[in-house]
Amino acid sequence: MLFGYLDAGSGSLILQALLGGAAGILVAFKAWKARLMGKEAIAEAEAEANAEESVPTDS
Amino acid sequence: MRDPGSFRDPASHVVVEDGRVLRLLDERGLEGWQALEPSSFFRAAVADGRLVASKLIETETGPALEHPKLPFISYPYEWTFSMLKDAALLQLDLLEEALKDGITIKDATPFNIQFVDGRPLFIDVGSFERYNPGEPWLGYRQFTRQFLFPLMLHAWAGVPFQPWLRGSMEGPSAADMKRLLGFGRRVRPSVFLHVSLQARMERNLEGQSVRDGLESSGMNADLILNNVRKLRALVSKIELEVGNEGWISYEECTHVGRDRESKAEFLRAAISTNPPSRFLDLGANDAYFSEIASSEGAVAVAVDGDQPVLDAVYRRGSDVNIVVSDLTNLSPSQGWAGIERPDLVSRASPDMVLAYGIIHHLIYTASVPPTAVVDWLSSFRCPVVVEFVAPDDEMVQTLTANKHEDELHPNRDKDAFIALLQRDFEVLDTLTLGDGTRTLFSLQPSSS
Repeated sequence: MLFGYLDAGSGSLILQALLGGAAGILVAFKAWKARLMGKEAIAEAEAEANAEESVPTDS
Repeated sequence: MRDPGSFRDPASHVVVEDGRVLRLLDERGLEGWQALEPSSFFRAAVADGRLVASKLIETETGPALEHPKLPFISYPYEWTFSMLKDAALLQLDLLEEALKDGITIKDATPFNIQFVDGRPLFIDVGSFERYNPGEPWLGYRQFTRQFLFPLMLHAWAGVPFQPWLRGSMEGPSAADMKRLLGFGRRVRPSVFLHVSLQARMERNLEGQSVRDGLESSGMNADLILNNVRKLRALVSKIELEVGNEGWISYEECTHVGRDRESKAEFLRAAISTNPPSRFLDLGANDAYFSEIASSEGAVAVAVDGDQPVLDAVYRRGSDVNIVVSDLTNLSPSQGWAGIERPDLVSRASPDMVLAYGIIHHLIYTASVPPTAVVDWLSSFRCPVVVEFVAPDDEMVQTLTANKHEDELHPNRDKDAFIALLQRDFEVLDTLTLGDGTRTLFSLQPSSS
């Protein structure tokens, strides 16, 4: 559960992923992109990518 | 009665009833406690006095935690540099230990920490809750504003943080710090990240929703821990240059050494006549006299405007309650609705006041008329021990070197002072020191 009674600051939230070290750089990047696209959009995009892979090519 | 400073978190709030301190819990608050109590870090922290003791009880309104009532409450804008630094380290240490046990701390504010017997104690048990993977540390920004930046401001920009925090309890922002720190400091990697980069990202991402994105991008406790460890290393390195500023060389003044024993004896006699349980030392300096009161069983509050001197008191492990505050502008009631953070005098609630070595500074430096000074002392409505300094005293001569007689208030001589005292006080005892320019008075309010 998250409690937002303090202003955590969007910029600060992404920054702390970066500050987490090398592993955090990727997390921060993905999260930064996610804010543009929205969580559902990412899930949708991933689902589409998976569906394409499983479509059999015509022999 | 609800504690006026406890209202931000819906899950729990503190009430004070019949001298008992109770933290009332709602469902989520109770869940947080049930996750917290069995954890090993929590038990260890309570056992070694870094986290306040809590006992779960049932009340008419539901479950609550009972905490011991602390003898005195102080606020970060009254702390010395080393006090804020130690509080910051405690905050980070507890967060690290908690995360390893699957618990997190919701916020990061020095108002969750109090000083007891000269050591920081984390008191907001309601701030702990189960850590859910994917959550970022919501308190990071608050930590930088209320702990890290004030320390950097003081140590690196040379600007004491107390007046800033008094006026703006949220603390300086990353953008403020960027403007205040010199180029040399800002390019250091740690400062660049927490100050400049945070300022830039706060500006660019303001108002955007990022929490869900972080969760689905793999945010986890290890990332938080890495950040916390690096912050701890950074905070440990922030040092104040201690020098011969202000009054720290007070002990070297000849009259101080000579009169110290007589003043101590005089105070002890006053204490034995009217034993105080709560002692307020105005202009405490090195807290020598506060410690006498403390050893006689009083809760002693040592107030002085001189941060370096009080910092030395703290660092030597004194158990008196330290307050950095300008005596002509003591901490007022402030915060939400003007009552969230009560004023210093209400918190101190003294039944004895000591005013050694300060009233001549009020009269000659701050230009407060002697009548107003005596009125102020009588407003405490309790016994007072005060040191009077005559106009021909060496220190007074220095303070008035550039003032003309008509620029100074009347009633500055000893007889006039005694007449002022006698309006509201009964003089129990007096003692004239050394060369005759200083006189001690032991007073109690007149019964009429």
